[in-house]
Amino acid sequence: MDVETDEKELKAAGAEPLSDGRRGLRIHGWEIESRKRSILNSSEHQLWEQKLQTSHLPEMVFGKSSLVLKHVNSGIKIHFNAFDALNGWKQEALPPVEVPAAAKWKFRSKPLQQVILDYDYTFTTPYCGSETIEIYTDYGRGEISQRTCNLHWEDCEEKIDVVSLASKEPILFYDEVVLYEDELADNGVSLLTVKVRVMPSCWFLLLRFWLRVDGVLMRLRDTRMHCVFDVSANPILLRESCWREATFKTLSAIGHPSDPAAYSDPSIISQRLPIIKHKTQKLKVPDNL
Amino acid sequence: MSDLDRQIEQLKKCEPLKESEVKALCLKAMEILVEESNVQRVDAPVTICGDIHGQFYDMKELFKVGGDCPKTNYLFLGDFVDRGFYSVETFLLLLALKVRYPDRITLIRGNHESRQITQVYGFYDECLRKYGSVNVWRYCTDIFDYLSLSALIENRIFSVHGGLSPAISTLDQIRIIDRKQEVPHDGAMCDLLWSDPEDIVDGWGLSPRGAGFLFGGSVVTSFNHSNNIDYICRAHQLVMEGYKWMFNSQIVTVWSAPNYCYRCGNVAAILELDENLNKQFRVFDAAPQESRGTPAKKPAPDYFL
Repeated sequence: MDVETDEKELKAAGAEPLSDGRRGLRIHGWEIESRKRSILNSSEHQLWEQKLQTSHLPEMVFGKSSLVLKHVNSGIKIHFNAFDALNGWKQEALPPVEVPAAAKWKFRSKPLQQVILDYDYTFTTPYCGSETIEIYTDYGRGEISQRTCNLHWEDCEEKIDVVSLASKEPILFYDEVVLYEDELADNGVSLLTVKVRVMPSCWFLLLRFWLRVDGVLMRLRDTRMHCVFDVSANPILLRESCWREATFKTLSAIGHPSDPAAYSDPSIISQRLPIIKHKTQKLKVPDNL
Repeated sequence: MSDLDRQIEQLKKCEPLKESEVKALCLKAMEILVEESNVQRVDAPVTICGDIHGQFYDMKELFKVGGDCPKTNYLFLGDFVDRGFYSVETFLLLLALKVRYPDRITLIRGNHESRQITQVYGFYDECLRKYGSVNVWRYCTDIFDYLSLSALIENRIFSVHGGLSPAISTLDQIRIIDRKQEVPHDGAMCDLLWSDPEDIVDGWGLSPRGAGFLFGGSVVTSFNHSNNIDYICRAHQLVMEGYKWMFNSQIVTVWSAPNYCYRCGNVAAILELDENLNKQFRVFDAAPQESRGTPAKKPAPDYFL
């Protein structure tokens, strides 16, 4: 674990750290684990390109890194990984965004034959996490069958309780995992990360896609998930997605700096970027399991 | 011990120079660099290094693996600054070595050696933080304008930071570029520092960003053929294994920043060429944590909402 949490604090909260050098903890029937590994090597990169049917992936794909939250009794598994996120990018397939220099390039003499690549190099993804139910049935004699089924999220009126989250409960586990990152060939940044904090009463996470195309636009797609620990068989999970976006042009028109260096960290601008999509959902667990 | 030797010793300990010393060093460097060709001649044996990006302690590993300058003759392919924590010390050490041993180290320009890019990706802020003013950034970026654009090893290996340009088919066309300026947004000089080889095109490709060329195998074949060179050696792109050949060994990418941005977990490489141009890649890891000046940065738990 990154943070040396007081053993006593963990014990008092009914939590225990994961063993075998794994990062994470067990708490109230949840097993929460983060994995931080190297970027994909060339052959893995190629394999992913084949699987995703693309010839372009982010420069840094942390393909073996993940955050997994498993509710042991119900089999509910919420997880975050680069592969599913890139699948989302592939599906959404936004048109490419032109950088400021492109205007000048339109007038430059071109080679006779030129292929214009047109994939979404910003790797914008609608990804808001992956979820399954894994049910293990033990038939005895060491025979175990595993059944997985998909879960889905239903729109709801409830909101994530931000007030209770603002209270400074001790953080028993905290981590941040980068899933992929691209420097847009020094034209900005595209970054997908997930961070989690686990407190005695709940866990909370933020999956954030952050895009800055220098001089052009900023895009933030946040997914927050919150689960309050209780004793019910199926835990209650709330998920809130909030997409924000603005061009440098509109930002500078309302008095914000137009210099990309002013936006090295999305938290500087996040609250001021206009919201273009927002919804809260609740995890629906099928009854017929 | 001369002032310069003392400064080199100091920089090797990752201690930056005084502002006045930087100014004097840059003036001396300028006198040397201004004489260099846009296609600087380099003799073998030579060791070729790719991007460093301010990873000072990892560059020390590089010198451990490759040997000290001037004993080893070095060619650095640019991108000395930005991203890492020690761009100031990294660039000044290389520049001091250049002034001390001008014939044993060649520095060519990368796309990060630019006023505009360094204001966004770290070097500007680092200078301001370490010196309290932007003077050092000004001295250094003025020097960037004097760095050569490419190198030619024994007339057989062409070295450049990024790649080729549709405006360039012969080395003479590079020689006549007026390089003493900020890297332009388009044109031959921009392409040499910015373009990338690309598998999925054969000829020329345009990046989906609307600016930036990509070049395929046939472009490299005809460039190498018309300039009578064996292969191109470039940097500019992260490769997990430290180096990567493309297009039937007609071009190689060398990457010398291990564990890039302190989190990628990649290895780095340098390419050693002996007097007969025999190649040996030396692959190396990031400096061990305990040899770095600062303790490992652990993410501080934060009450994010």
